[in-house]
Amino acid sequence: MTARRLTFKKGRLASGTTAYVILIVASILMVGPLFYIVSTSIKKTTQLFAYPPDWIPRIPFWGNYSFLLGSESLFLRWTINTMIVAGVVTILKVIIDSMAGYAFAKIDFPGRRVLFILILAVVMVPTSAVIIPLFLLVRGMGLLDTYWALILPPLANPVGVFLMRNYIQSLPRDLENSARLDGCSEFSVYFRIILPLVKPGLVVLGILTFLAQYTAFLWPLLAVQDETLQVLTTGVAEMKASIFTIDWGIVSAASVLSMVPITIMFFMFQRYFSGGSIAGALKQ
Amino acid sequence: MKDHTVADSAISMVHVSKTYGDNLAVDDFTAAMAPGDFVVLLGPSGCGKSTVLKMIAGLEDVTEGEVYIAGELANYILPKNRDVAMVFQNYALYPHMPVSRNLAFPLKMRGVDRDSIRGRVEEVAALLELSSLLERFPDELSGGERQRVALGRAIIRDPVAFLMDEPLSNLDALLRFQMRDELLKLHKRVGKTTIYVTHDQIEAMAMADTVIVLKDGRIQQVGSPQDVYDRPANTFVATFIGSPPMNLLHGRTEAGRDGLMFTWKDHRIPLDHEGAAVATDSILGVRAEDAELTQDSGDGVLRGVVGLVEPVGADKFVRVEIDDDVYWYVRVSSVTRVREGEAIGVRIPADRHHLYDREGSLYRPEQGADRTTPGEG
Repeated sequence: MTARRLTFKKGRLASGTTAYVILIVASILMVGPLFYIVSTSIKKTTQLFAYPPDWIPRIPFWGNYSFLLGSESLFLRWTINTMIVAGVVTILKVIIDSMAGYAFAKIDFPGRRVLFILILAVVMVPTSAVIIPLFLLVRGMGLLDTYWALILPPLANPVGVFLMRNYIQSLPRDLENSARLDGCSEFSVYFRIILPLVKPGLVVLGILTFLAQYTAFLWPLLAVQDETLQVLTTGVAEMKASIFTIDWGIVSAASVLSMVPITIMFFMFQRYFSGGSIAGALKQ
Repeated sequence: MKDHTVADSAISMVHVSKTYGDNLAVDDFTAAMAPGDFVVLLGPSGCGKSTVLKMIAGLEDVTEGEVYIAGELANYILPKNRDVAMVFQNYALYPHMPVSRNLAFPLKMRGVDRDSIRGRVEEVAALLELSSLLERFPDELSGGERQRVALGRAIIRDPVAFLMDEPLSNLDALLRFQMRDELLKLHKRVGKTTIYVTHDQIEAMAMADTVIVLKDGRIQQVGSPQDVYDRPANTFVATFIGSPPMNLLHGRTEAGRDGLMFTWKDHRIPLDHEGAAVATDSILGVRAEDAELTQDSGDGVLRGVVGLVEPVGADKFVRVEIDDDVYWYVRVSSVTRVREGEAIGVRIPADRHHLYDREGSLYRPEQGADRTTPGEG
């Protein structure tokens, strides 16, 4: 009996050690590049390729940061652009998708099924397949190099409609019926009863949308040429492309700075990211 | 109830039908509900009773026919303008609002000023003993409390009629009994027309002024609870109302020496019945409390074996097995001694019985086997 327990313990110990080894290796793989970027961002160009590499510079160099935040650089402008685009898209999307989701879930209108299937079909089309027609369309509308080019196309992404429709459909029908008898118009049913009840779903949709916009690269790259209209992703990439000799210190500092807003957001909405993330939030 | 016309009834429905695709959910429903009446729509699940309620509320469109509320054609009036209040089976309280705001909601939506709302909420809360719960949220309330909030939200705005869709079915037995009494008391105080949907015949018998029995979307009978119990219009009503259901026997009626003679196999049962008889297939129905146990045999007695004795407090239900698939319940006093397995007779009194034609409608001897349509009750 004791012997058996001992071997069992040993087995657990062994599997525990293996797990830790795997975790440590994985952590190094994850944290390593981040550490390298942070380290690069506080070095002078001359220190960058020193051998052996100077992992933690004895005297940190803040010049890269002060350059980016100073008036010579467009970095702050790009940050504001990103915030405007991601913020407006998020707000509009939460409004539009929750309304459309309500309509698909609760209003019986002719053609509802067909329309919904069409929307689902759009979900299945990969972005890269529509990006050229989309470019031609936006150019045809004369919207290239405007905020509209960055804001309008993401609004048409139907995933949010699908998400909200499923969420709203799970609310009992008696609730809206009761509200209708209590004197609500269709809009007040949506606004006063449904919206407050799907708040967790709205937050999830908002976070997903904001993240997607914050990290969007391909479409902003095509839609906007003007330097002052760049967003963070394209702006930082441009820095690598346009300057003859790439100043890796500045590029790294830009990368680090651009992580700041999204990190703050992560801590604000941590409970929606963790604990089963979206599925958990959707079930309330 | 029949005397009321569209103009002077609180709610009336004229030849109303509802179809979902090919499925006929409500078929030619005509009824007038008098002001202040407590009307119970009774029927098994899927009989269309909730659909009738929703058509009155405007939550379902009417396929055919007319719905009148307070004498006015309501078919095209939006639910919010119909001036009826509904209590739902699952209460449908707004989970994100405390009790006070749940109660206030119908008034707020109608633009009542804030002070009047507060006064009215306090009044209704006092009436329903909710005053100490006003700041709680629905998920912090017990089933009975939620039920009272749902009622409060209905009575707060003084509508023409209350519609209740199985409001007690989610409560446990004791609470259901209490709430039933409270509902009746409330009805007496408020005096509003109430249309109450249930599949529970005991609830219907206890609460209704008028019972409308529905089956497969058609009205089977309309009448007072006593009426419906004493004179069921057809075999469906006879077996649906009453526990145990009415005993039935499929046989033939023939002319007897004085009145009718009902025959089944070699049993002969003389019946008092007015009018001339025509020989025809028919169904004999007797309530458990009208049949008697006897040791005799002969005319008017069915012989069988005691299959089961079920004591129910002051009484016993004795199940007498008369033939394969034919068993009758007889109610006897609890002091009566019967043994399971004992051979026994069931005496059918000549005057306390119900006779139906082969389709199950009430038998009218002078018409022979001619059917009378159900729904004319």
